[in-house]
Amino acid sequence: MTATPILASAAPPDGAPVIQVQKLSVLAKKRKQEKKILDGVQLDFAPRSLTAVIGASGCGKTTFVRTLNRMVELTPGLRVSGQVLYLGQNIYDRSINPVLVRRRIGMVFQRPTVFPMSVFENAAFGLRLLHEPDDEIDSAVQEALTRSGLWDEVKDDLDRSAFGLSGGQQQRLCIARALAVRPRVLLMDEPTSALDPMATQRVEATMRRLKEEIVLILVTHNVGQAARVSDRVAFLHQGHLIETGPTAEILERPRETLTQQFVSGHFA
Amino acid sequence: MSPTPADSDTGREPLPAPAPVAADESPGGTPTKTWIGRIVPFIPALIPAAIIAAIAWTLLNASGFYNFGWGFWLPASATNQYGVLVEIVGSFLTAVPALFLSMVLGLGIAIASTVYLPRFITRFLDPFVDLLAGIPSVVYGIWAFVVIAPIFGTIINPWAVAHLSFIPGFAPSTIPPSPTTAGTGLPLAIMVLTLMALPITTLLIRDALRSIPRDLWESGLALGATRWEVMRRVGLRHGSRGILSAAFLGFGRAIGETVAVAMVIGLDGRFPVNVYDVTDTMAAYMFESLDAAFSHPILLKNLAELALVLLAITFVVNLVGRRLVSHIYAEEVPGI
Repeated sequence: MTATPILASAAPPDGAPVIQVQKLSVLAKKRKQEKKILDGVQLDFAPRSLTAVIGASGCGKTTFVRTLNRMVELTPGLRVSGQVLYLGQNIYDRSINPVLVRRRIGMVFQRPTVFPMSVFENAAFGLRLLHEPDDEIDSAVQEALTRSGLWDEVKDDLDRSAFGLSGGQQQRLCIARALAVRPRVLLMDEPTSALDPMATQRVEATMRRLKEEIVLILVTHNVGQAARVSDRVAFLHQGHLIETGPTAEILERPRETLTQQFVSGHFA
Repeated sequence: MSPTPADSDTGREPLPAPAPVAADESPGGTPTKTWIGRIVPFIPALIPAAIIAAIAWTLLNASGFYNFGWGFWLPASATNQYGVLVEIVGSFLTAVPALFLSMVLGLGIAIASTVYLPRFITRFLDPFVDLLAGIPSVVYGIWAFVVIAPIFGTIINPWAVAHLSFIPGFAPSTIPPSPTTAGTGLPLAIMVLTLMALPITTLLIRDALRSIPRDLWESGLALGATRWEVMRRVGLRHGSRGILSAAFLGFGRAIGETVAVAMVIGLDGRFPVNVYDVTDTMAAYMFESLDAAFSHPILLKNLAELALVLLAITFVVNLVGRRLVSHIYAEEVPGI
C-alpha cells in the first residue's frame, strides 16, 4: 500500500505559497439534483501565516477546508474538481494516497475529539501509526504538547485518561496530536465553537504562537476571532470566494458589499 | 457529557418555593408523608431480585444438596448414582469455543458493515442478522442433526482424523456416536451454538461500533490513519463496553441453550477425550433426564441441584460482566 510518488517534503522556496487552490469546485449530488457547494475557489496560503476563512453557516467554509486534506471524500455524493497544490503537487492526483496527504496536512475539529486512551497516547497516536521508536515518540510528544501550550498542565500525569481534561485542554490536546507528526499545514474547523471564553483565549494564544511556524487555516463564523488571530481573511458566500486580503483591510475596508454586510453583522 | 454543573438549579426560573415543602426531599417531586408512600416505589424495583432469590431458594430446597452436599457432581457413589461433572465440563467445552467463534465472526461482520461496506449494501444485509436471531432453536437443532451431522460424519471428521491426528485431541474418536447418529458430538454442538450466539454478539458489537462519533472517527483518519487503523486503535476501544457486553450475553446464550444442543451433542455421560467425541451438557442433560426423573426421586433432586449450578454460573458470569463493563465505562468513556 505504499503510494508513489510520496508527497514532497522539502521546504518551499521563500515566500512561495505552501498551498495553492485553483478553480476548486465541489458538487453535491443528491437524487439527481446537483448543487454547487464550492464554485471556482482560487486561493493561496503563504508559509507561516494564519488565514481565517469566514462566512455564514452553509457558505461552504467547512467543505472548503475539508477539500484541503481530502477529508471531503469521506462524505458520499460529493465531487471535487479543480486542483489543490501542496508544495506544487496536486493532492488530487491519482497517484497520491489520501492517507499520505493527511499526514502532511493536519486537522482539528469543532468539538474536542480525544481518543479513549491516556493523554500521552493521544498525543503519540500519529507517531505510533508511523512506527516511530519510543524515545523519538517521547520527545516528539513533549514538543507537540509544548507547542500546543498544554505541556505545563499535563506533564506530571501523562498517563491519566484524556477524558479527565477540561474541554479547552482536550482541544489543545487534539492540536498537539495533530502537531506531533509535524505537519506543515494545520486546518482548524471552528476549533473554539464548543469552548468557553477562557478556553477560547488559550486556544487563540496557541494559534498565534503556531502561525510563526506553520500554515494555519482557520474556519470561523466569528469575525472577532478572525480579527484577533488571523493575518489574512477569506470571505466565502454561497460557495463563492467573495474577497480575500489582509485581515485589517477586509474587516475595516472591505471592497465588496457582501463582505461589508457580513463583517458589520448586517447579514440577511 | 462529563460532570455537569448543577444546571438543574440554574436552568429554570427560580420559583418562590414554599418553605415547609422544600424541607421534604422526596424523589418523586410530590412530598410523601406516610411510610407506605416511601415503601411503595421499592416494591416493583425489588421484583426481579425477589424472583431470582425465590428461584434459587426453592431450587436449593428441592435439590439433593442436603442429602449429598457438594458431592452431587462426583461420579457414581453410594449416596449418589448420578454424577454430573461430565455435564458441567461439557457445557464449558461447548459454550467457550462457541463464544469465541461467534465473537470473532461477530466482530468481522460488525466491522465490515460499519466501516467497509457501502450504505446501500448494509441496509440490505443488516436485517438478516436480526432474522437469524429469530429462528427458533429447535430449527437449528433439526437442521444440524438432519443436514449437517452427515457432513461432519462422512467428510469433516474423517478428514480431521486423517490429517490432524498428530495433534493431541484429534486422534480417532474414543467415544464415537452410534452409526445412526454419525457426526453428532462436540464439533456439531459448537457449530450450532456458534450460530445461535452469533446474532447476539453481532448485533451488540455492531451497535457499539455504530455509536463511535463521526468526528472521532474522522480525527483518526485526519491523522493519516487507515480505516483499519482507526478501527483497531480507537473504534474497538471506544466500543469495548458493548463488545464486552456482547461476550457475556453470548456466553449466557451458549451455556443455557438446551433443545438444539440435546439433539446434536450425543447425550453421553462420559468425559470426551478427542474433539469428535459425544458428550453431554448441563442443559441437555436436564432436558433428556426429565422423563426418567419422575420415577427416580434422587435424580430429580440431582437435576434441581444441577439447575442451581447453572443458575449460579450464569449469575456469576453476569455479575462479573457487569462489573467489568461498568469499570470500562468509568475509566475509558465517561458520558459517551
